[in-house]
Amino acid sequence: MRQIIRRREIVADELRYAGEPELDGTISVQTLAEWIAGAGCATAPAAVLLSASDEIETLAPHLQSVRWIVIEFAKPGDGRGFSQARMLRQRCGYPYELRARGVIKRDQLFFLARCGFDAFDLDPAEDLAACLPAFNTFSVAYQDGSDVLLSVRRRAPAG
Amino acid sequence: MGDYQGYMYRYDQIDQTLVNERVAQFRDQTQRFLAGALSEDEFRPLRLRNGLYIQRFAPMLRVSIPYGLLSTRQLRMLAHIARHYDRDYGHFTTRQNIQYNWPALERVPDILADLATVQMHALQTSGNCIRNITSDHLAGVAADELEDPRPFCEIIRQWATLHPEFSYLPRKFKIAVTASPADRAASELHDIAVRLKYAADGALGFEIFAGGGLGRTPIVGKLIRSFVPRADLLAYLEAILRVYNRYGRRDNIHKARIKILVRALGTAEFTRQVEQEFASNRPFAPRLTDQEIERMRAFFVPPPYQQLEQCSPGSADPAFQAWHRYNTRDHKVRGYRIVFVSLKKHGEPPGDVTAAQMDALADLADRYSFGMIRSTHDQNLVLADVPQRSLPELWQALDALGLATPNIGTLTDMICCPGLDFCSLANAGSIGIAKQIHARFDDMDYLYDLGPVEIKMSGCMNACGHHHIGHIGILGVDKHGKEWYQITIGGSSAAPAALGEVIGPSVAKEAVAETIAKLLEVYVRERHGEDERFLDTVRRIGVEPFQERVYETDYSAA
Repeated sequence: MRQIIRRREIVADELRYAGEPELDGTISVQTLAEWIAGAGCATAPAAVLLSASDEIETLAPHLQSVRWIVIEFAKPGDGRGFSQARMLRQRCGYPYELRARGVIKRDQLFFLARCGFDAFDLDPAEDLAACLPAFNTFSVAYQDGSDVLLSVRRRAPAG
Repeated sequence: MGDYQGYMYRYDQIDQTLVNERVAQFRDQTQRFLAGALSEDEFRPLRLRNGLYIQRFAPMLRVSIPYGLLSTRQLRMLAHIARHYDRDYGHFTTRQNIQYNWPALERVPDILADLATVQMHALQTSGNCIRNITSDHLAGVAADELEDPRPFCEIIRQWATLHPEFSYLPRKFKIAVTASPADRAASELHDIAVRLKYAADGALGFEIFAGGGLGRTPIVGKLIRSFVPRADLLAYLEAILRVYNRYGRRDNIHKARIKILVRALGTAEFTRQVEQEFASNRPFAPRLTDQEIERMRAFFVPPPYQQLEQCSPGSADPAFQAWHRYNTRDHKVRGYRIVFVSLKKHGEPPGDVTAAQMDALADLADRYSFGMIRSTHDQNLVLADVPQRSLPELWQALDALGLATPNIGTLTDMICCPGLDFCSLANAGSIGIAKQIHARFDDMDYLYDLGPVEIKMSGCMNACGHHHIGHIGILGVDKHGKEWYQITIGGSSAAPAALGEVIGPSVAKEAVAETIAKLLEVYVRERHGEDERFLDTVRRIGVEPFQERVYETDYSAA
């Protein structure tokens, strides 16, 4: 079974993508279009896959019962997923799993976590255990983020 | 000098920790690359965002000089790096940075570690991220500025540094901050221009332009917000960057800059999207407090100027007089003058400076200019706070170093990229052309008679040498393996910025200086009085008379 990183731990993946064999207990991931088409009657916990060009504004009214959002990073250097993640966490207040999947190496993990991703389905060539220290690449930052850093220079007093 | 750190932003524990951790990160990435764990394709975007290119002959490392401001301690470190890791010199760029052309890849982490000891780095000097924030090289000393823009440069620098959302943009992103109507930072040719502005009630805020840029599609930036309250500066920048990050083109590297997005959407629609994003995101965006602004302003207080009398230049030597006239400018404080250090000596590549010159300049800056030095976007250096009475001594010292060529603002004060001699992108040489122009126009009296003529030269259409905005622009092109040069006239970086017009077919390498001579001949013939600059004459009479002279067929010899 595929391994992923979730909240800095290596765990087995419970999600299943189109074309993958159905295994017990796995949850099928739907594209945004599939999800919107059937969202009205969905009550079971659902997983939605976003491509870089999918609009967060399209998904926003249909977030109820969504428990996994997977943002696909199909091309190296395409940073649209970073904006999608921050919009989901901040503007939509989405509290459940937000996963980055695709051509991601350990060198992107720090920024991804700061933007609100908490699960990572990395490039299969990466050694997941060797990737874990990357979350601690920096202990300080100039911007607020979704992770917990020792020291963030705040521009406004909290609250 | 003890703990002396200069009249500039000084790192605290957070800033220092960040650059130290960056060094460790890059050391790890370099080691993984050298061990074969990272492919060249994987390493490239990582090294690029640390200013490391693989060039024609060797790697090239670009070191960030935030808004062009350096303490002498930092300048001595730049000299040390040139001496210790490179071939004894560095090259100041058109974005106020310095680059080294010959470092060994495996030693770059050590260079970064050395830089970190003097609060410097190479963060985001390349790659598809927010680059060095540039500003007016006369900030804080020019009489025409609203107030010192540098506190806001530093605020934006920190916000942009390792920004988690905006580190994988469609393309590079350049921001300039200015506070003077003269616009000495060419701000309208940046992805974003931030201009300090006072509202009717005296409140400080910012005027915002977006979508300017040079490169192969030069476009002057468009005004998108006439006033952003100061508390919302970062929120507004974030809104622009988010719209760009989401909708900027990623399918074609030549159409990926924000200027193409602004042009495709139209200024009105782009502005509408930014305003909508600004409104939606405002609750989550950083707010800039007055406390933070005051904290930053405290770093940029004026140095302890003495009460000095205004005095005359101080030496009757005609060489000194020429230098005083061309290489110094009025200072807003009585008894002081701004001194330009010319890096445009005949025979030297524009912007180049040796390790020995850097060390000597650091000594001079300590003695005469409060230990501070600045780099300009036209590749010179500035000692901003020199007592008038010290000018003859300083001139003699600079002259002995070969740094007093009295040509600031004249034809031979050229902007020039490294060109084919160093750069793997270039189509043609530019340093050799600079030498050709220097050799052709070696009569200083003729140059003085011509008045201000800005020549800007790029070795390819990426336009690092800003050729579009030269009064005379020179662009190197490759024609069947030979170097040719396309000439434009009428460009300007000063507000209102203007793009030059191509005069006709490109000219052969050996004909560049002669072509410029013909352009100047037309100017001298047509100009209305001594005060009309070359640029003014071009604007008044258009390009045709210049074209006729350059491309006329000479039948007399037949």
